[in-house]
Amino acid sequence: MKLRPILGYTAAGATLLVALLTPFLLMDSFSKGFIALGMHVDEVYTGGPKVRTIPMGAYSIDVHRPVYPHMLQSEKPFVQLDWQPVSALPQHISDAVDIDGDGQPDVRVSFDVPRDPKAPLHVDVDSLNPRYEAVQHAGKEKYSRLIVRVDDAILVRVPLGKP
Amino acid sequence: MATDARILPLARPAPRGILRSLLLTLPILLWSLLMFGNPNSHADRLSHISGAITALFMTVLFFMMMRTHSTYRWRRIFFVSLGILFPIGFIHNLFVMRGSMGIPIEEMIAGRTPFCFMPIPLLILPAAFTRTLIFPGSIAGNSHGIAAMVALWLALTLVMGKGWCSYACFFGGIEEGVAAIPPRAKIRKLNPRLRYLPWAVLLAMVLLSLAIYEPAYCMWLCPFKAVTEYVAARNTIGLVQNVIFVLLFAGLVIVLPFLTKKRTQCSWFCPFGAFQSIFNKISIFEMRIDKERCKPCLVCQNACPNLSLSKESIARGETLLSCMKCGACVDACPRQAVVWHIKGTQIAWKPERARLMFLYAAWAMAIMFGGTIIAQGIATILHFVV
Repeated sequence: MKLRPILGYTAAGATLLVALLTPFLLMDSFSKGFIALGMHVDEVYTGGPKVRTIPMGAYSIDVHRPVYPHMLQSEKPFVQLDWQPVSALPQHISDAVDIDGDGQPDVRVSFDVPRDPKAPLHVDVDSLNPRYEAVQHAGKEKYSRLIVRVDDAILVRVPLGKP
Repeated sequence: MATDARILPLARPAPRGILRSLLLTLPILLWSLLMFGNPNSHADRLSHISGAITALFMTVLFFMMMRTHSTYRWRRIFFVSLGILFPIGFIHNLFVMRGSMGIPIEEMIAGRTPFCFMPIPLLILPAAFTRTLIFPGSIAGNSHGIAAMVALWLALTLVMGKGWCSYACFFGGIEEGVAAIPPRAKIRKLNPRLRYLPWAVLLAMVLLSLAIYEPAYCMWLCPFKAVTEYVAARNTIGLVQNVIFVLLFAGLVIVLPFLTKKRTQCSWFCPFGAFQSIFNKISIFEMRIDKERCKPCLVCQNACPNLSLSKESIARGETLLSCMKCGACVDACPRQAVVWHIKGTQIAWKPERARLMFLYAAWAMAIMFGGTIIAQGIATILHFVV
């Protein structure tokens, strides 16, 4: 028997082995291997990593690192702020938030907190620092300018102005 | 390579004996029981019943493949069932979880969008350049997480190459089912150049996805959004996207397969199918044509649902790169000139051995992946009926 057929049948046998081992061994190994590549989901979706928490008594505000979209991505740069837990929020929020941590408030964020988790949310953002854009009655039209409720937090994304 | 008549008889082989067919099916029966028959699992009664039905279904189809020597028509029953039952189970799940087929922006921000294999080629360049995955899902997470689905895709691809499109894709079954309805094609003359379109769509979508940092195909062109989930129409752009999904689904998945009896979405449009074709180069299994036996009558070319045979490729004794190993050409050939083949071995030398080795591997994966989806679909139907 020549070498090529031997290699062919060996590879076919190995293929069968891969099929049999997939649910018990390979799926898990491949999955861990993929995670080990250290990739991350685009921050336009995730809002970027949290950098600071501002305590506000019964609730707190998480400040995320600013997110800058890539190339032709149709979003503006933004920063995400999370109010949580929702159960501890008053019926109306109107907080001055120091986003960059310099001790001076950068924006005033105002929104109502409906008790119905499916009720639509709207936010107004007054800019106290030209680095951050004002927002009027925004809902969830764009990733870079929205207010949404995710699990036990209300997320507000404030677009950044031109530096 | 020359083949003498002793290797393969010209006439179609007689059905295999029942006992021998049962023996050949035994490993698949055991595998099905292993996949669906865990009595200690915490699944409810309906899930156990649907698992048992699926195990029986997959085993009977394999038995018929063994008994009749035919692959295509039995595989098609599985594949069409997969195509029909996937949306049933999936859409039911969506309504239970979020009350709608539309993905709200909250779910995308929370990373709870189930990952589909379609965007895999679109993620490669952004991931390579910036280690960023341009998909609103989670990397680890549950079985719908990106890592789990990429791992599954990799395993299936190693085993089947482009056979993915015949044994694993949960979308292709819909158009294959529609294509099976009319007795003959209304449109027979198809421009052969159209088979290059998926490559053009793939190239355009990969580059566009890199530029706009979004899975462009999923956002704008995927016909199957019409029967799975779509971005909830928050504005005019979202509305336009959804209209495009429905129109493409109606045209490429319903109307054209009915008129041509071909899988037109797969043959003319699907960028993932084009991407998957590349892996036929590393797959050890392929279809070959014994040039000494071939007339050529072109029956195989007409039978191919994916336009993967041309006069030139038949003359060369091979299929095109897009061949998805469905077996239609093998079953259709009146002279048994088209055969299953393991690379490196002599053409038409024990082709049944090559077919069996491929089918055991492919069917095991089909039971594990497609079978689970079928079981979920059956469980959904039972949930409403019982």
